[in-house]
Amino acid sequence: MPGIAIGGRYAAPQVAGGVLIAACLVLFPLVASSYQLSTLIVSMVFLLPAIGLNLILGYTGMLSLAQMGFFGVGGYTSALIAMHFGTPFWLNFVAACLVPALLAAPLAIPALRLRHTSFVMCTIAFVFIIESVSKNWVGLTRGDMGLSSVPRPRIGLWSDGFIVHTTVQYYYLGLLLCALAVAALVAIVRSPAGRYMIAIREDEILAASVGGRTWHYRLAAFVLSAAFAGAGGSYYVHYVTVISPTVFDPSYTNTVLVVVLGGGVGTIAGPILGSVVFVALSEALRIAPELRMVVYGLVLTTSVFAFPKGLIAPLTSALRGAVQPKARGPHDR
Amino acid sequence: MTAETQAALSLRGVRKSFGPVIAVAGIDLDIAAGKICGLIGPNGSGKSTLFDCCTGLVRPTAGQVLAGTTDITGWEMARIAREERLLRSFQKAVVFRALTAEENLILAGQMTAFRSLAATFSLGPLAHRRVQALRARAGELLERVGLAHMRHSKAGEMSFGQQKLLQFASMLMPEPRTILLDEPFAGINPVLIERIVENIRAVNREQGVTFVIVEHNIDVLSDLSHRLVVLSRGSILADGNPEDVIRDPRVVEAYLAG
Amino acid sequence: MLQNLFTDGLVIGSVYALVSVGMTVILGVLGQINFAHGEYYMAGAFAAWWAIDRLGLSYMASIPLTILIVGILSLAIGYAVMQRLVDVSFDAGIIATLGVSLLLQNTATLIFGGTYQIFDGGWLEPMRVFGEDIAQQRVLIFLVTLVVFGALEWLVRKSTFGKQMRAVSQNVECCHVLGVDVRRVVLITFILGTTLAALSGVMTAPITINIYGAMGEAITLKSFAVIVMGGMGSIGGTLVAGWVLGIMESLVAAYVGLQFRDAVAFALLVMVLMWRPSGFFSTKARY
Repeated sequence: MPGIAIGGRYAAPQVAGGVLIAACLVLFPLVASSYQLSTLIVSMVFLLPAIGLNLILGYTGMLSLAQMGFFGVGGYTSALIAMHFGTPFWLNFVAACLVPALLAAPLAIPALRLRHTSFVMCTIAFVFIIESVSKNWVGLTRGDMGLSSVPRPRIGLWSDGFIVHTTVQYYYLGLLLCALAVAALVAIVRSPAGRYMIAIREDEILAASVGGRTWHYRLAAFVLSAAFAGAGGSYYVHYVTVISPTVFDPSYTNTVLVVVLGGGVGTIAGPILGSVVFVALSEALRIAPELRMVVYGLVLTTSVFAFPKGLIAPLTSALRGAVQPKARGPHDR
Repeated sequence: MTAETQAALSLRGVRKSFGPVIAVAGIDLDIAAGKICGLIGPNGSGKSTLFDCCTGLVRPTAGQVLAGTTDITGWEMARIAREERLLRSFQKAVVFRALTAEENLILAGQMTAFRSLAATFSLGPLAHRRVQALRARAGELLERVGLAHMRHSKAGEMSFGQQKLLQFASMLMPEPRTILLDEPFAGINPVLIERIVENIRAVNREQGVTFVIVEHNIDVLSDLSHRLVVLSRGSILADGNPEDVIRDPRVVEAYLAG
Repeated sequence: MLQNLFTDGLVIGSVYALVSVGMTVILGVLGQINFAHGEYYMAGAFAAWWAIDRLGLSYMASIPLTILIVGILSLAIGYAVMQRLVDVSFDAGIIATLGVSLLLQNTATLIFGGTYQIFDGGWLEPMRVFGEDIAQQRVLIFLVTLVVFGALEWLVRKSTFGKQMRAVSQNVECCHVLGVDVRRVVLITFILGTTLAALSGVMTAPITINIYGAMGEAITLKSFAVIVMGGMGSIGGTLVAGWVLGIMESLVAAYVGLQFRDAVAFALLVMVLMWRPSGFFSTKARY
């Protein structure tokens, strides 16, 4: 399992596969239509908060349904800074990661006292409270009307630079951000802290018995997951150039859940696959939103019983079988 | 011989009650450093709760717990493990099943290799070298307990006895001072029991690690321990040489009656 | 004015309590939160709408038909999903029931369309109660709630099935030894809980008038607040918590602002979780 192989080196086929897929994604605009690219942009919008959910659920074992709340906070932050100060994209983006993270820290103090169902409910409540603030702090957010004509991303160090506006440019921007996010997740998960997080997922008391500061790592996972969600919000708001409280609709939370669980929770590649299959593919197949949600429902329910490890599990075992059918030495699993 | 007279772990009037139920009824006990101390008693006599009080899993209702000369009453379990190297095992939760044997050991060793919280997030060359050092030490320890061939196996795929061996090895990773073992021989076959006993003796002799062992297998325990303490209904019933204690009529009665 | 707000809140709170108590008994027996619970409330409203609008039945006749339809639906889902959740972790249970919620909600939207349907039925003539004009339907909701809660208390405390429910909620392994059929108890409890939600849906539809596929979502979320406040598993606690939420909502809507009404449940939820993680009326709180 890719995610579990912490500390050790990735096997050659894994690296080769990753490079191959990355190359395909980079070259994809050469052959793709702008419609196909825009569906992939949507899947990248969902991939960023999904990576955060993967960190907190897949590696730390806490089910947080607050991701889209922090996504919205990131989106509003990025939009407001850009609108009021005309700042370049990188600055908006950094602020969009930091503000949700800073908001998550005080919210975590009460939430981390809770476990299981109570924790989940508390995270749901956070989204509603954030939504309520966004609706009622009219002076800042313009309430239900939301913010419109948010500037497009300006790539430059400070005062000038070029403006991202074509679909292909947005696609490459998204690819860059997702690559950074995946690299960040890999770095976190493979660090000693990541090892403690996995330990907490497995057994919190046992993790404390080996010296893990469990509260601190649960806090770190919550805060970092909020930062990933905020990153998604920033990319989203500068792409669609509007944001309103509808961003907090529970259906988006469900989509993030499907991406992570349907793809493969607790693996690096799973949510990436999930975002392509469940967002881009269903958009490209022109499945009506209701029908898509029916499919999502089926995916969620069956994934619990039929394929709890997501789509990625059969895929990786098939690949492993294809790459190394022989030579099962004593050091292979 | 000052090391012998010094206590690795001291309990001063430790009491623990859960509502009206008194689990530990005021215990005074000094565990001499470098010794192996067995702790027996019928089910419900307060052995596990006493362990919980010593390692910070529960807070004693009254009394003090000292590790060496440090008052650790009310500390969290993780801090006691990190700062006092006072480690414990659990009866049921044994190892991290999703991690490999080697990763289990590296995880256990992290508390000494990475002191600060921030250091654990670093991926720099220094952190990498530290992990490599832990990996090398993990290899040695796996060799020592006879699990070298399972280095890259998932702990969840190992037999229960192998998991207990792995758990024991992981407790040696952070250079422990005191180890509390909760039923280390329960549910495993005699060959593995012998292997764990040998390792306990060797670690105690070579590194001077203090052991406190709760165990129902009295034959193995009295043979292994320097001292045997018997608990009954949350109090100490008998304390002394293993040979004397197991012949004590009160102990025999408590076991037959309990 | 104030009295009016109280009676309004009491009626709305009764609806919340009626939906939530179903969730509470399912939580108690199965140890899982049913994220699809509001969808059975929605299904109840739609089944009655279908019976009245398409079959031309009276409102009175639509009620038993609704219970029957939703009962069959939850029998199917109980078999396919809920029975399998007995020994599954809590987050897997949340995800599985969330999937059921998406399935039901969007199937309803596919069948009945994405827009509002107008519910035409019920007894809406005012009647005088304590010097106030109140729609008969509202009085009915309040009375039915009292009867249902009385019956539930009797069921859980006195009946043989109630003893089995309590046995399953306390220890599943023991039930296997004692010969209690855990899966059967789970299934019946699930059908009981969901039909209560459906009953609540059909009773409330004449007041809310507009019905739509996603109407259950908000109810599910409010039920979370109610069952947490009610102590997760306490029947009487759920009733009081439902009333508290209903009254608080109508007071906030009147004195603070309508837009804050829906936030009340979550503010209360967070406060209760902070203050007493096991709820006001915590009994055994299995979670």
